[in-house]
Amino acid sequence: MTHRISIGPYHPALEEPYKLELTCDGEVVREAELRIGFNFRAVERLAERRNFTAAIALMERVCGICSNVHTLSFCQGLERLAELEVPPRARHIRVVIAELERLHSHVLWAGIAGKLIGFKTMFMACFEIREKVMDVLEAISGNRVNYAMNRVGGVNRDIDDPAPIQKAVADLEREVAREIVPVFTRSRTTRARCQGVGVLPLEEARALAVVGPTARASGVGQDIRRAAPYAAYEELEFTVPVETAGDVLARLRVRALEILESCRIVRQALETLPPGDWRGPTDEVEFPEGTALSRVEGPRGEVFYSVTADGENDTPRRVHVRTPTYANMPAVKVMLRGAQLADAPLIQASVDPCYSCTDR
Amino acid sequence: MSDLEDIAREMGAGEAWEEANGSPWLRPEGLDVRRMAQVMLAHDARFVTITARAESEDEPAAMRLSYHWDLEGRLLTIETRIAEGGMASIRETCPAADWIEREIHDCFAVEFQGARPEPLLLRPGQSPGVFRGEDE
Repeated sequence: MTHRISIGPYHPALEEPYKLELTCDGEVVREAELRIGFNFRAVERLAERRNFTAAIALMERVCGICSNVHTLSFCQGLERLAELEVPPRARHIRVVIAELERLHSHVLWAGIAGKLIGFKTMFMACFEIREKVMDVLEAISGNRVNYAMNRVGGVNRDIDDPAPIQKAVADLEREVAREIVPVFTRSRTTRARCQGVGVLPLEEARALAVVGPTARASGVGQDIRRAAPYAAYEELEFTVPVETAGDVLARLRVRALEILESCRIVRQALETLPPGDWRGPTDEVEFPEGTALSRVEGPRGEVFYSVTADGENDTPRRVHVRTPTYANMPAVKVMLRGAQLADAPLIQASVDPCYSCTDR
Repeated sequence: MSDLEDIAREMGAGEAWEEANGSPWLRPEGLDVRRMAQVMLAHDARFVTITARAESEDEPAAMRLSYHWDLEGRLLTIETRIAEGGMASIRETCPAADWIEREIHDCFAVEFQGARPEPLLLRPGQSPGVFRGEDE
């Protein structure tokens, strides 16, 4: 017998407000519908009412987890408009912050995944490690959530003594390699719970144009850090983990392996930190009329910004943001089709959704 | 690597690509966007998003749509003016465009022909076009 179950917009199974409407046959999900917009704050419209500098602070608040990728994408767009070169030291510092952000985001997600697969100790272990990542971010930026690191043409703070950061990252790397990664890559319990669950086949991943770890778990190998390098990624060595099964286990594995790659990237970026300027231009920057596009590989995938200036006013004429969850979430309908109802919370969480970003 | 001129020719755009702020743009007028979507997908391009913006401050009602695609890591943009009466929907050819077309309808009241106008960010019953006009 067919029945409908509505989950959300406010529900303990969801980290943020949105709505899942499931049509089920007994315990099997036949169709799923998603409703978003419960966090809609018209951020793009608000950006047209701020000057360029104030708009950076506004864009940092698009997301509470990947705040840095938004200012980075926005600043890159403005730098393209103004034809500004970012100093090498600032480009390296941008990589350090971006990878620490990926690290804390992936570790947070690993904790949530642990909780959803019934491994609550893992939740506590991950959140303890995440605190340490945030301590490192605080040591560099003075902030734990909105780091305020990016400015047009450079960064707001230097890393004047990389040694303690390097030591903290080396300790973190050992800890995640010992406590988190094996649970998601080798544990029989995790495999039994997640293998074959919530499958997104390669063809559907391509048709729905999903991005980031969600795409890479279905065999789509693109990572913007490699495909269209920005900041200092072209100078650094890293592997892009790709899996082909397209299930929850594959998404777990991709993120777990990316945690180790992020540690490796931070280590290299600090070891090769070039000397020199990091602040960029100190005079007022003028933005000529035009539109510039910018992309960054955020923790959840490609973040896209389009920034338009009219060359006269000190406010953007238009800012458009396409976040990775916006691209990934429609795929949850495919992942849920034919799934067990009890797996729905884990499946929707396996794309690591962020609705603050998505709704803007 | 697909040749950009071939792509422009296949979608029936007579104009040439121009480089603007680090990425190639094509700005044909009266473009058949469904054909454009078919051509881009046939070249294995990945749909990124659509940006809607007013033609100018003086003409807020005249809108342009920029279709962004990723072709082997290269970000391509095809921009065209919205015809009177709205724009053809590409949702059927390119399901990834579903949410952004609905969002553009919510925010700018652009009608997409051939697609059900279902709100995405607004609640049912709210009037579309919330980004148009002056703030209250």
